[in-house]
Amino acid sequence: MTGAPLLSVRNAARHYQSGETVVRALDGASLEAHAGELIGIMGPSGSGKSTLLLICGLLEPPSAGEIYIRDRLVSYPGADLDKLRGFRRDHIGFVFQKANLIPFLTATENVSIALEIADVEARAARGYATQLLGALDLGHRIDNRPSRLSGGEQQRVAVARALANDPPLILADEPTAALDSVRGRQVMELFRRIAVERSACVMVVTHDPRSLDLFDRVIELSDGRILSEPSQPVQAHP
Amino acid sequence: MNLAIKDIRFNLARFALTALGIGFLLMGAIGAIGLYRGIVADALLVIDHIGADLWVVQGERVGPFAEGSSISSTMDRRVEGVEGIASVRRFVQFSQQFSFAGKVRRATITGLDYPRDDGAWFELKAGRHLEASHFEAIADDSVGLPLGATIRLAKDDYRIVGLTHGLVDSAGDGLLFVSINDATAIASRRPSEQVLLARETSGNAAPQGDGASPSSVPQDSKIAAVLVGLAPGADVARIKAAILAWGDTNVLSSAEQRDLLLNQRLWRLRLQILAFASVLLLVTAIVISLIIYMLTMEKLHQIALLKLLGARNSAIVAMILQQAGLIGLFGFGLAMLLSHLTFPNFPRRIVMLPQDLGIFFAILCVICLVASWFGIAQALKVRAQEVLS
Ligand SMILES: Nc1ncnc2c1ncn2[C@@H]1O[C@H](COP(=O)(O)OP(=O)(O)OP(=O)(O)O)[C@@H](O)[C@H]1O
Ligand SMILES: [Mg+2]
Repeated sequence: MTGAPLLSVRNAARHYQSGETVVRALDGASLEAHAGELIGIMGPSGSGKSTLLLICGLLEPPSAGEIYIRDRLVSYPGADLDKLRGFRRDHIGFVFQKANLIPFLTATENVSIALEIADVEARAARGYATQLLGALDLGHRIDNRPSRLSGGEQQRVAVARALANDPPLILADEPTAALDSVRGRQVMELFRRIAVERSACVMVVTHDPRSLDLFDRVIELSDGRILSEPSQPVQAHP
Repeated sequence: MNLAIKDIRFNLARFALTALGIGFLLMGAIGAIGLYRGIVADALLVIDHIGADLWVVQGERVGPFAEGSSISSTMDRRVEGVEGIASVRRFVQFSQQFSFAGKVRRATITGLDYPRDDGAWFELKAGRHLEASHFEAIADDSVGLPLGATIRLAKDDYRIVGLTHGLVDSAGDGLLFVSINDATAIASRRPSEQVLLARETSGNAAPQGDGASPSSVPQDSKIAAVLVGLAPGADVARIKAAILAWGDTNVLSSAEQRDLLLNQRLWRLRLQILAFASVLLLVTAIVISLIIYMLTMEKLHQIALLKLLGARNSAIVAMILQQAGLIGLFGFGLAMLLSHLTFPNFPRRIVMLPQDLGIFFAILCVICLVASWFGIAQALKVRAQEVLS
């Protein structure tokens, strides 16, 4: 990879105090991620994958270490992340295992809310939301409320919402866990496309080895440490 | 896009039920205060409208509302002689039961000193004021008598020549106006057996030293008070002193009568209703606060999501406030509607004063604000990652 990294995690640790013992959810992890990359994060349960994502996503500060986005130091121990809400909105999109759509809004509204929050004018927001949903093959679903959508459709709406503000970094925590293998594969391919077409950096936590072929590289976590980071991509992509 | 309105439209039935619940609660509180106002207004109706400056009543008593009062039936002439007095009228009021159309009715018979007073001080809903000194009556519509009906009171038949609306005494019984002479006649009715017994007793008993009663049947005068209208510029203190000097009378101003009624006779009832209204208000306040607070708590997950999407606090606060405001507004509107539809059918007057309603609205606004504030405090504490839990 060339050029400055989009995201740089340096020696990040996250310790949780639980009673007498200290849980080292993340124990000194470093990584760099670049625009246009699709990165898989894998590892056994409890290995710190979600914790890593929370820290990269500026939802939790690290107990030690620093997080840089585009060479700007954004998170460090004790950082006031609530102040970074606006920054997060412009730079990071999230997708989780559950779609977390707002039940009283239609598919379009669920996407355009993310734009309106960023002060995009309502009509323009709707227009772009409709366009995004169309691009994710949900053109026929734009006026449906979440309860009328299948799990896969809901998850694609959530992806569209994450894409709405064109963030350079997209973080997904087991986005396909609640989907069957076909739909799961579709969502993973969607991330692949997003990384290429939007030259966004997409980091996906997954347990599903069948998606391995889609990733540029895979970060293995074990006990809060990054095990192996192959210098070469798992498989080359155009 | 307005999230508060979208949410309400999505959960319209729930919103409507919530607003309706708040509406009923408010209506109860409005009704309790209105009942209190109504009791006071009813009690003061006669005192405030009859147009008396002074009430001359039985000596050492504070009648005729707070205590009984009986004065000589010619007291009016004595009072009329006092300098500075422009008008005098005799007054009597008592409860009476009678039957009409096969049903027992209650009315508070009030004597009008016809022809000096034909009842022009109250408004008629139908018919006319008194035009004869005997056997005509004006009834409040709450007594349930139609215009032109004939009722039997004591030994005579009375025709209803006029109808009023909302003229009741402090117990809520409708007033029935007759001439003062008729009123005394009705009040003096007694069974013939009683007359016979009385004659016998007075015949056998030793004659009374003062020989007060010339009648064989000892009876009080039925006149309760003389209503005094003062001449312009009259010296009230001197007039009062002059009448008090007689010894057998007491003089009360209208203000004193009001005070006696409200702070003596109706004191417990007023306190009771006020206490009840306070409890109701408190319950209403607590329940409405809880409803608004719960509505916000229910939204915490969505609020966390909005934070995750990068929503500003102001947007979240606006959503909570708008929703609380809309619920409060609709609740108040429904309370108004329900109150105006139902209260006129209540047996006693419910007075809804604009200033009371204004205060209710202000209190409701404060409740909504305080409850939202607690909700908002929780909402602002929620962390974006709670979406994940
Ligand atoms: N808020 C917390 N308080 C205490 N311990 C925590 C907290 N969050 C995570 N942990 C602990 O940190 C460790 C890593 O958790 P994490 O959620 O990152 O694992 P994970 O790799 O995502 O696991 P899974 O695959 O099951 O989702 C676990 O042992 C977990 O119990
Ligand atoms: Mg996890």
